[in-house]
Amino acid sequence: MEIPFVVVIILFCLGMYTIITKKNLMKIVIGFTIVESSLILLLILVSYKPGGTAPILDKGYEIVVDPIPHALALTTIVIGGSVTAVMLALVMKIYKRYGTLNIDEVRKLRG
Amino acid sequence: MNRTNEILKNLYKIGLVVMLAIFLLSIFYEMHNLDSDRKRYLSEHYISEGVQETGAINLVASVLYDYRGFDTLGEVTVILTAAAILSFLVPIRKAAILSNTFTIIVDQTIKWMIPFLAVLGGYLILFGHLSPGGSFVGGVVLAIIPILLTIAYGVEISEYKFKPSKKKLIEDIGAVGFILLGFLGVLTGSNFLASGQANFGIGNAGELISARLIPYLNVMIGIKVGAGLAIIFNSLIKEK
Repeated sequence: MEIPFVVVIILFCLGMYTIITKKNLMKIVIGFTIVESSLILLLILVSYKPGGTAPILDKGYEIVVDPIPHALALTTIVIGGSVTAVMLALVMKIYKRYGTLNIDEVRKLRG
Repeated sequence: MNRTNEILKNLYKIGLVVMLAIFLLSIFYEMHNLDSDRKRYLSEHYISEGVQETGAINLVASVLYDYRGFDTLGEVTVILTAAAILSFLVPIRKAAILSNTFTIIVDQTIKWMIPFLAVLGGYLILFGHLSPGGSFVGGVVLAIIPILLTIAYGVEISEYKFKPSKKKLIEDIGAVGFILLGFLGVLTGSNFLASGQANFGIGNAGELISARLIPYLNVMIGIKVGAGLAIIFNSLIKEK
């Protein structure tokens, strides 16, 4: 087991802890982005090869890292950005409707 | 009684997260051992044959636009959907949180940065099949220009320079153009978005005009991502 994988696990669990314990909607959105960052880091780690360069086969490069996880990381970033934007818009709507960001308060006001 | 309840609840949540950590540890341990077994036939194929098959020396670009071009189409649809949802959800009102209180130094710095950002974004998009970077990154760099204008001068100036209707038009051109370019693969008697079979601009690998459809798909995705991100940012920044 190497240290980067432990860092990924710590980041993931930190984000999950934020999502399941915090009451503030903005903090929950931040937790989602932390989880997403840890997943991107994991994809980069999985594709790592000792001595490998970026997957661009110019002259003189023999060992390159695995290109598939890098393409997947791009997908993750794009989808994560879109999901974060939609979540922030929903948070804005909830704040405008209820005047609060606390999920317990929102539930109470709904009745 | 209430306090012990609270403590028990917190302990329960912490326990859940610790269980998750142990679960992830076991999964990642397996993933970590994956490399030693030489099970990656697909990546080996891409690395050894990718340049000959697609003509793009940037392997990530060849995976994104040739081998898995259809998935990229879905990925772009996600951005289109997010921008559509945002312009639907967030009401269009005047921005009040921004005021022009920057000093002249910040103003001039931003003004001088914008041309360089445009050149960098264009370079990243055009050379996406030859160099690190690519259309997604280049699109984000292009989207920084209206975002910087919004931050420096407010949303009115930014939307006067880059009109929202034009941004939406550019985004739609990117999406439709990607699909139309995909049909070139069908016209050459192959699959949708099969750039490897479309005989269109086959140069030597490493030149600017090479790699068949990939540079043109790059341009489409670049303008699409740039316009989409600009729409998303300006929609979120508008509030009462």
